[in-house]
Amino acid sequence: MKNRQLIVMPWRDNNPVTVQVLGICSCLAVTAQLKPAVVMAASVTVVTALANLIISLMRNSIPPRIRIIVQLVVVSTLVVIVDQVLRAYFYDVSKQLSVFVGLIITNCIVMGRLEAFAMHNPPVPALCDGIGNGIGYSIVLVIVGTTRELLGSGCLWGVPVVEHTGLYNIGYEDNGLMLMPPMALIVVGLLIWAQRSKNKKLQES
Amino acid sequence: MKSYSNRYVLIYSAVLLGAAALLLSVVAVTLRPRQQHNEDVGRKQMILRAAGIVSTAESAETLYAENISETSLGEGLPAYRYGDKHIIALHGKGLWGPIWGYMCFDKEWNVCGAVFDHKGETPGLGGNIATDEFASRFIGKSCVDSTGFVPIALKKRASKESRHEVDAISGGTMTSNGVSEMLRECLEPYKTAMTKQYR
Repeated sequence: MKNRQLIVMPWRDNNPVTVQVLGICSCLAVTAQLKPAVVMAASVTVVTALANLIISLMRNSIPPRIRIIVQLVVVSTLVVIVDQVLRAYFYDVSKQLSVFVGLIITNCIVMGRLEAFAMHNPPVPALCDGIGNGIGYSIVLVIVGTTRELLGSGCLWGVPVVEHTGLYNIGYEDNGLMLMPPMALIVVGLLIWAQRSKNKKLQES
Repeated sequence: MKSYSNRYVLIYSAVLLGAAALLLSVVAVTLRPRQQHNEDVGRKQMILRAAGIVSTAESAETLYAENISETSLGEGLPAYRYGDKHIIALHGKGLWGPIWGYMCFDKEWNVCGAVFDHKGETPGLGGNIATDEFASRFIGKSCVDSTGFVPIALKKRASKESRHEVDAISGGTMTSNGVSEMLRECLEPYKTAMTKQYR
């Protein structure tokens, strides 16, 4: 596969969330509002890309018996560095994301891509695969975050957009249920449904 | 598949862990002063916000030095002074972790400003305690009357007339309870200073 394809494939037909069904947990936690969802998406993309690159460089020296532990050490080191850098240079954002940054370590997409791709492929394709999957994850996070913030609190990026449309005056109310974690899963489920009904390739018999 | 000796595996893990530890220590030590500075500026910005002074990360230190002084309202009762107003620090427990804030009181000990923040409350639910809208619900409230100390409590459908009740956050009941508890615990020690006006 060409590098460009490696980057683009995970956006749609091989999306880590809607097709590989990885990283669902963080999809649920950070998507009540758009802004933390975007910062989380960016952090995950950086970590997936770098972890893929580093593991791919090390792949021929890693003893198979301890490969998961080696992957975990690399991923957690990267995540802690991202967290420290955010705290030093993007203090506001780091306060908002708080514990979620640390939870990137347990994001299945990161280790999933390491096991499935970086362990058997050279560095440049691995880097592309990491970036691609990071973006694929980001797309889903942004869609879910937008839906939940807009329908749940009538805002986008913290700006009360629904207020300006005058919908409240004719009896419209925000759906508080949208802010609850289960609604994230339902929105992701709807996304998967929409994608599979459009794309016959993805349908299982 | 290539097989590796135990000795290789052990040395490999030791080297990897050593390298990771070294890297993390270097990062932590180099970034520490910047992080501490950020935390300090963040705290000063919160105190300024409680006092109703708008500040940016750059202007916070100068504004703080010009307006705020540290004082005490009795043994072990620190406070900040802004003109004839007092600002009191609050610390408590939310649903997932610590919550904290500052509350500004005028001469008659009516709340004239408040600000809250949290470590890990759910964004969009309990996390809303950090919004200006939530903080503004406290303005004009009071935690003393002629009978003594009456804590400000967060309630569902709080009575508009009551000076001791504030609307809780919908979907954030546990966090709201934490805020009520924090207001009671952190403000009660100051009741002697606050009730002086009724004696």
